[in-house]
Amino acid sequence: MEYVICVENLKREFASKKGLIKKENKVVKAVDGISFEVEKGEIFGLLGQNGAGKTTTIKMLTTLLAPTSGKCEVLGYKTFGDEKKIRSEINFIFGGEMGVYRRLSARDNLRYFSNLYLIPKKEQDERIDQILKLVDLADRADDLAETYSKGMIQRLQIARGLINDPEILFMDEPTVGLDPVGARMLRDIIRKLKEAGKTVLLTTHNLAEVEELCDHLVIINKGKIIARGTPQSIKGAHATLEDSYVELVKEVSA
Amino acid sequence: MIKVIIGTMLVQMKQSFARPMFRFCLIANPILNTILLYEMYKESGETNYMAYVVLGAGLMGLWSCICFSSAGDINRERYSGTLALIFAAPARFPSIILGKIIGNTIMSLLTMVISLITAKALFGISLKLESPIYFFVALIAAIIAFIVISSVIACILTLSRKTELYMNCIEIPIILLCGFVFPVSVLPYGVRVISYALSPTYAIELMRMAVWGVTDKAVFIEKLGILLGLTVVYAIFSVILYRRIDKRVRIAATLEVA
Repeated sequence: MEYVICVENLKREFASKKGLIKKENKVVKAVDGISFEVEKGEIFGLLGQNGAGKTTTIKMLTTLLAPTSGKCEVLGYKTFGDEKKIRSEINFIFGGEMGVYRRLSARDNLRYFSNLYLIPKKEQDERIDQILKLVDLADRADDLAETYSKGMIQRLQIARGLINDPEILFMDEPTVGLDPVGARMLRDIIRKLKEAGKTVLLTTHNLAEVEELCDHLVIINKGKIIARGTPQSIKGAHATLEDSYVELVKEVSA
Repeated sequence: MIKVIIGTMLVQMKQSFARPMFRFCLIANPILNTILLYEMYKESGETNYMAYVVLGAGLMGLWSCICFSSAGDINRERYSGTLALIFAAPARFPSIILGKIIGNTIMSLLTMVISLITAKALFGISLKLESPIYFFVALIAAIIAFIVISSVIACILTLSRKTELYMNCIEIPIILLCGFVFPVSVLPYGVRVISYALSPTYAIELMRMAVWGVTDKAVFIEKLGILLGLTVVYAIFSVILYRRIDKRVRIAATLEVA
C-alpha cells in the first residue's frame, strides 16, 4: 500500500497575547495529536464542525503552516522543511470567493498561475483552454473575474487548482457557493481525478457528497479524531452518514 | 526565474493601473505636488525649479506609488486570499515579489514625466539638465535603489498583518529624511545621520547634482559608490530576511487573515 499522506500525532497551537499592560498568553490547540494516512489514488474526507481543525490540517499539509509538533508528510517529504519538493506536485482549493485576481480575466489568472507553477510556455495555452472548458468558463474566459458570479469565481478557483495537473489536490469546502449544477460538475471532476490516479483530500459539510465520493474519512472534533473508516463503516446501522455524524459529535460534546 | 519575474511584472502593471488609488498616486499626486512645491519655492530665490520642484514632486509621487503599491500589495494579496497561493507556488516567493516591485517601479517613473509636463504647462518651467548622461546614470542607480529598498519593506510587511499602518508610517518620514524636496543639509545633525544611512538620500543628491551640472566627477563617483554599496547591503539584508520569513510566516501564521 502506497501512502501519499502520513500524519502522526500532529499538533498545531496558536498563541496570542491579550491585555495592554499585563499581557496574558492564550494558547489555542487547533489540532491536537491527530494521525491518519491517505493512500495514493483515493478520495479522502476530513469532516468536522466549524473550528474542528480541518482547515488548519489542510494548511499544514499544503506547506502553508508549520506544525507545532508531530509528523506531517506529503509524498514522503516533510511539509515544513522539504516544502520545495512537494509544491509542484500538489495544489489546493479553498472554498469561497477568495484566491483569484479579480482585476484579471480567467485566462490571465490561469496564465499567471501557470507561470508560477513553472509550466512550459508551449503547454500553457492548450492546458488553459482544456481546463476552462472543463469548468465551463470558456465563454467568459477573457472577461475580468470581478464581473463573475460567486459560482463562476469558485469555478475559476477550481481551474486554478488543476493548472499544474497535481498528484494530490486538497479541497477545503470546495462546494461552498456553488449552485447544484456547479457542485455536480465539481463532483464529476473529482471522480475523473480519481480515475486518473490522483489523490484528493476533501473537507466538506455536505455529508451526502462524502458518502458519494470518499473512500475513507476521518471525523475531527476540537482538534482530535473521533471516528475513522469508510463512509459505510462510520454510517453503521444509521440510515444516513449524517445521522451517524451528528450522534458522534453529540456523544463527544456531552 | 526571469520568466516568473517578467510574468509577475506584467500582471502587476495591469492590476495596479486598474486600481483608482494607484492611478491617483501615479497621475494626480505629481500634479498636485508640483503645484504645491512651485508655490513654496517661488519666493525662495531658488531659480532651478527642476532640482527641487520637478524632481521633488516626481520623486514624492514615485515613493507614494512604491509605498501604496509595492508595500500595500502584500496586504491586498493577503486579504484577497492570493498571498498563500503565491507563497506556496513552486516559483520562489522573492522572485514573485521582485517582479511586482519592478512592475510598480517602472510604472511609477511616469510620475517624473507628469511632474515635468505639469511644471512646463502651468509655470513654463523648462527642462534644465546640465549633465544628461550623469542624470541617466543617477536615475538608473536610483531605480535599483528604490527596487531594493521596496523589496526589504515588502519582506518585512509579509510578517505582519498591520501592513496598512506601517506603509502610512513610512511614506512621509522617508520624503523628509531623504531630502526629496529640500537639501538634507538643512536637517539637524542627528537626523542627518539617519538620512545618510538611507540609500534614496544619495540617489536624490546624485540626480540633483546632474541637474545642476556635475563639476566634480570625483564627488559624483564617490556618492554613486556609496549608493551602490548601500544598495548591495540592503540587497544582502533582503535575501537574509526572505530566508528567515519563509519559515517565520508559517510559524506565526501571517499569510492569511485570521
